[in-house]
Amino acid sequence: MSLYHDTAFPVREDLEAAHDDQFDRFAGAGTWGTAAQRLAVIAEARKAGIDAGLLEAPDDGGAESPTGDLPKMVREVIHTLAATPKDFDMSTYETAREAGLSDPEFAELVAIVSFAVDLDVYARGIGVPLRPFREPRKGSPTREVPDEAVPQEAFVPTIPNVPDCGEFGTELYGGHFKPYIMRALSLVPDEYRAHVALEQAQYNPLPKVPVVEYCHHEGLTRPQVEIVAGRVSALNDCFY
Amino acid sequence: MALVKPEQDTGVEHGDVLLAFAEAVIGTDRKALDDVRAELAGALGDVAVSGVAAVAANFSKNDRVANGIGIPMDPVVFKGTEDLRAEMGLNAYKSAENTFRHM
Repeated sequence: MSLYHDTAFPVREDLEAAHDDQFDRFAGAGTWGTAAQRLAVIAEARKAGIDAGLLEAPDDGGAESPTGDLPKMVREVIHTLAATPKDFDMSTYETAREAGLSDPEFAELVAIVSFAVDLDVYARGIGVPLRPFREPRKGSPTREVPDEAVPQEAFVPTIPNVPDCGEFGTELYGGHFKPYIMRALSLVPDEYRAHVALEQAQYNPLPKVPVVEYCHHEGLTRPQVEIVAGRVSALNDCFY
Repeated sequence: MALVKPEQDTGVEHGDVLLAFAEAVIGTDRKALDDVRAELAGALGDVAVSGVAAVAANFSKNDRVANGIGIPMDPVVFKGTEDLRAEMGLNAYKSAENTFRHM
């Protein structure tokens, strides 16, 4: 059965596949979190949305997952990012660090909370209940930090742009300039790759972003897409 | 300006419905969302609903990645947008500090 079999609206196959992949990723070990930890984080993010009235709790309970025993300070960081991203600032990052998260752990947390909100907003948008989380798979985090990541201008280190990113960065970025919004998660390359995959399915294939005549979505023009993008970002007080 | 003052005309076909959907899909009023989704489908067709939802979802992600990781605006965008940012009130956003703290 397809992921969005119950929607009344046509969903592109590549978009559905990208979301399906991401739900699978949540249930596997990441670079820093175990599958159980990752599922606990995204369940907490979903709980934050439900508590704030931004999401509707599923009737059957099947879309919920135990939030585990996350430390209180980590839960606060997740709730701010998931429900009130406009309030997230350096002090929130510092709270995460005080709670014991390393920079790569923090970057992975930001990634999976952001992805979880993304998928839940989409479900709400097409009028279907929140999708169930999947059962955790066995496996261990790889705990690999790219040597090329250095302190730049974000809270956490990032891999610089081409040509200052070394062989690994050049391969990761496909040899092309990447705006900071894409490089933001480069401290955890697997999350960077997932970020790119969602971006390409949901917005535009990256090489097409500067092509203003191009629109990736049937039935819409590029100006119509940009209105939706800009309004969402304005409501989230996102300066970037 | 309609992005921060949605009562203004966007100059884009069905811009008012798109703005209303963007607000509703990340808002708390489920009935308003259901109503505007139906209006959107009527105006642009069923096929457009998934695309609009995907774009709203994508930027819900990007806004959290940007604010969460604390990235500054890319210089190529920052330069030359002084007047627009001031007019739209963007400099007052808390996340603007992620750019201005480097100046």
